[in-house]
Amino acid sequence: MADSKDFVAGVDSNAKKSPRRIVFITRRTSAQVKAETEDQIQTFPEVLFRAAVAIEVLAVVLVWISLMFNAPLEGLADPSHTPNPAKAPWYFLGLQEMLHYFPPVVAGVLVPGLVVMALIVIPYFKVNIEADGLFLKDREKRQRIFYVVAATLSIFLLVFKVYVALAPTLIMAGVMLVAAYSCPQSTSAFRRYLAARPLSYWVMTWFLFELVLLTAIGTFFRGPGWSWIWPWQGS
Amino acid sequence: MAKTDSSKTMDQYFEDLQQTRVWRSIFRSGPGSSTLKRALAIQQNVFLHLFSTKVRVRVLSFSATWYLGTLTLGTFLVLVATGIPLMLYYHPSVPQAYADTKDLQFVVSSGMFLRNLHRWSAHAMVFLVFAHMFKVFYRGAYRTPREFNWVIGVILLLITLLLSYTGYLLPWDQLAYWAITVGSNIASAVPLIGNKIHFLLLGGNAVNANALLRFYVLHCMILPLTAMFFVAIHFWRIRKDGGLYSHGSEPATMKAATANVAAAAKEAR
Amino acid sequence: MKEKLTSLWQKLFGDPVRAFGVVSLVFLLSLAIAPAKNYFSEWRHYQHSYLRMIRNRSDANTLQRHFQGGIHQIWLPELGVVDRCTSCHVGLKEASLTDVATQPFRKHPVVPHKLDEFGCVVCHRGQGAATTVAEAHNSTLAWEQPILPAKYIESSCGQCHRGPMLGTPQLNQGRALLKREGCVHCHTIKLPDGSPIQPNDDPPSLEHIADKTTREWIYAWLRDPQSYAASATMPNFKLSDDDARDVSAFLMANSAPLAGDRAKITAKPASDPSAGPSLYGESFCASCHSVQNAAGNLVGGDVGPELTRIGSKVKPEWLQAWLRNPRSYDPGTAMPHYRLNDGQVATLSGFLLAKTDSDLLANVHLDPATPEQIAHGKRLVSDYGCASCHEIAGIKKPENFAPELTRIGSKPITQLIFLPGMQHTLPEYIAGKIKQPRAFSPGLKMPQYTLAPAQIDALTTALLSFNERSFTLPPSLAVPGVPESDYQPAGKAGKLMSDLACFSCHRISGHGGDMAPDLTWEGSSVQREWLVQFFKNPGTLRPALIRRMPRFNLTDGEITELTDYIMTVYQNPAVDRDSMPLSGYPQGQVELGRQLFYGKYSCQGCHIVDTKTDKGYIGPTLTHVGSRLTAAWMYQWMKNPQALRPGTIEPNRAMSDEDARALTAFLMSQKGGAKQEIAKK
Repeated sequence: MADSKDFVAGVDSNAKKSPRRIVFITRRTSAQVKAETEDQIQTFPEVLFRAAVAIEVLAVVLVWISLMFNAPLEGLADPSHTPNPAKAPWYFLGLQEMLHYFPPVVAGVLVPGLVVMALIVIPYFKVNIEADGLFLKDREKRQRIFYVVAATLSIFLLVFKVYVALAPTLIMAGVMLVAAYSCPQSTSAFRRYLAARPLSYWVMTWFLFELVLLTAIGTFFRGPGWSWIWPWQGS
Repeated sequence: MAKTDSSKTMDQYFEDLQQTRVWRSIFRSGPGSSTLKRALAIQQNVFLHLFSTKVRVRVLSFSATWYLGTLTLGTFLVLVATGIPLMLYYHPSVPQAYADTKDLQFVVSSGMFLRNLHRWSAHAMVFLVFAHMFKVFYRGAYRTPREFNWVIGVILLLITLLLSYTGYLLPWDQLAYWAITVGSNIASAVPLIGNKIHFLLLGGNAVNANALLRFYVLHCMILPLTAMFFVAIHFWRIRKDGGLYSHGSEPATMKAATANVAAAAKEAR
Repeated sequence: MKEKLTSLWQKLFGDPVRAFGVVSLVFLLSLAIAPAKNYFSEWRHYQHSYLRMIRNRSDANTLQRHFQGGIHQIWLPELGVVDRCTSCHVGLKEASLTDVATQPFRKHPVVPHKLDEFGCVVCHRGQGAATTVAEAHNSTLAWEQPILPAKYIESSCGQCHRGPMLGTPQLNQGRALLKREGCVHCHTIKLPDGSPIQPNDDPPSLEHIADKTTREWIYAWLRDPQSYAASATMPNFKLSDDDARDVSAFLMANSAPLAGDRAKITAKPASDPSAGPSLYGESFCASCHSVQNAAGNLVGGDVGPELTRIGSKVKPEWLQAWLRNPRSYDPGTAMPHYRLNDGQVATLSGFLLAKTDSDLLANVHLDPATPEQIAHGKRLVSDYGCASCHEIAGIKKPENFAPELTRIGSKPITQLIFLPGMQHTLPEYIAGKIKQPRAFSPGLKMPQYTLAPAQIDALTTALLSFNERSFTLPPSLAVPGVPESDYQPAGKAGKLMSDLACFSCHRISGHGGDMAPDLTWEGSSVQREWLVQFFKNPGTLRPALIRRMPRFNLTDGEITELTDYIMTVYQNPAVDRDSMPLSGYPQGQVELGRQLFYGKYSCQGCHIVDTKTDKGYIGPTLTHVGSRLTAAWMYQWMKNPQALRPGTIEPNRAMSDEDARALTAFLMSQKGGAKQEIAKK
């Protein structure tokens, strides 16, 4: 790296066979360059045909599903007969489930708005770029913050009686607790893994957990009047 | 494969075809499978030039991506391919829309299959978009320099949800009507301008013929075009951001490298 | 083996291009299944089997010629009908397929409507747009109204035809029951023209109930009305002992005495034990009231209440006051005011009061009511909506006490709660609700009716006809029924007719009952002399019927009043009573008439002129017709009976003037022997 010359230029002996990027490195720009040693492959035909095969396999699966299962169609829309329960499309049922607990401004506007905001800022959030284990630095302080946040969130969910969302929160908190007392030198591979997880990982996993659970509950466990039913209890 | 001397193989016919003036006028690059030709095949195609001509082998492994992005594109293609014939049988008016859906089911040849494929693909697309997002997140592929492509991805997620949501109303059955009613009522909850948004979304105060027409236009025109626009940017940015993310060759290693450099610099001082 | 597989895998998927080829093939093959699936559709299968079936028939050529492949549909935008039923039901219109019993190839029975004008689902329900068996016939997610079971099919007639029809006895019965059983007291049912169905069961007012009966009887009645009278209209509210005790306490305490009901009469009943029964018979009480005979069968009419155990119910003073003049207790009663003298009242009341049942009240012992019980009884009376039917002082008739049933025939199944084991269809639900209303949920108030299965079916049929389609019908298709008019005769005669309750049995100008002949044109049709004699001593024109016109013991003045009124007012403008003579027709014409009667028109099939030879019992006996009817009426009747009495079953034979005149001459010669007898008296 530390060469006395201002730049280095490299050309492969057989440029026709494998063209290489020529890079100029000056001390002033001091770009950090990694040696290009990875194997590469031509997009055409290798990658394109792989993609085409993947898409076709998916299409075959969809075709067979479509041959076997008919899309639902109910009676003509009738504004005077509200089905009970009236359900949104499945991907909104997590939201609808939250509407059951919180006022519409919170569940319908604030939460989805914050989720979208959070998703957008994820890559710009400093913590993520560092990608360090959450509890590896300032362990004491971060553990304290974690306790406060986890407790506040749990109490909040308790107050609003959102027990279905409380369960994943507690489970996540438990796992994070393990992570908080694990170090990268641990003998257990699982604990090493947990210790290395950054904050964004924990937040996203909690979000995924809640999303899947709330959507599943909204889809399968809600009956007339948004009351709890079991999927095997026919309506 | 054994080739007889007297007869040409399929490949030879194909090569001959590629030599013709017409072929050359369309595709420019002539026959041959050299690296250059293959690179040109990508570069000289208006759609394919969004991709880089070469890809790291490592990112092609199934575990790297699970092909989720590709599959999402696949569902989108299926949806376009089935959506266009469906448009031929559909009137966005009340109650004809419902009758048309019935006709698709009962009298149009393979109409039910068409609708099934469209419907299930739409569900699959929503699912795959979510899966793609989480996969990208857990791989860490959203990090520098790919931040903006992640943001484009979030926009595409929202467009996909809107596409699915607007399409949900079109059969004009009870399921559609009440799902949209429930969904659109959430918009009313926005403080101050909630009712205005609700009105704008539905073209009225309730789900009615106006809403159906509005959702139809959104579903068949505005949203697909917007989606294509952002998909194009999404793909192009993959190339511009250094190809598909591959674990080991980037940030983590990059960070390690940075650390090394920093350490070396310290030592040097 | 493993190596072989590996090498095969390598061959097929070894490089992406080849894999693409292989997968493309699989993809295209999968895609090709869709059109194949489409080809093997159910309707095509049925059309093929139809063609196979007709191939070996003698009429194969005709059937082949009529057959057209492909999906058929009957499209009636006005009715919102897209019926593709005929895609599978190919032979519906083939008259020659009468011997085919297997569906879907049976021929449709002859109905008054054309398939192409009304489609299928208008009558049969089901999903007409569907081209698969399950979707078309069953209740599915997309279509909840399945095919209507054949036993309720008449309900579909009722969607358009709002009046009774000859072909729809079950529907007519159901509609009548809705009024008769008092359903519409609690349940509002509005017809498409907006008018609610009015009940005609006339439940008694309870304002003076204590005059009429005892608290013990009320108690027993409340516990189980049918134990007193099997034919009682009052349903069983399944009150507990305490509730029945309290309601009876309230009703007694709430009753106001009427002065007339207490007056005892001094006259003694006739000593002859047969005088009671014979007075009962002469007055034709049995035309309206029934009594259970020894075999347990009810004998008599069902207009008034059953009298089997009347002696255990009413107080003697009340009964006598009632027999003297029922209108003083209940001004609106259907019971005529017989002009009975005190002796007759005593005889008849004595006869009736002997009809007791000692078991009925044997176990009823009620302590004097406490104020709490009375207050509780009042609350129960409100809760059970007793005032929906009965007038009760101090309690208003509740509005919309029970759910409105105006559109019950298209109630969504998703809104219904079924009993376990019940079929999830609307007809089953309605029938089940009528059969055992309280079973559906513990808090329900609807009482238990005692209805025969046929009556339940009839009610269900009528209720199913009140559906959405009957409201959205194009006006051109609606066939409104004849609405009950509020016709009331005027003046002194009018008062007399109300007093005699003529309208309980007779219909005049669209008002009144249908038990006795319509009297709208009575003044044109009968001879004055006959009418006077008939009032004095009513006979019957139809010996086959039990119901007869009772004798009201009218004074000559009253008879003159009535006769004048009838002869002046009830005249048909198209019939000039005096345009044809009552007798004196040439013998030749009479003879021609006789030949026409027995020959060309075979009138003896329904009517009797010669009691020795003729056997017709369908129409009235004509032995005396020459002294009953006017010649002008008879002539016009021959020409077009329906013009004079719409709906009469007398066929319109399209007679020539000459034939009609000859028949009139013949019939006018049938003066009978009785005329002389009456004249002698």
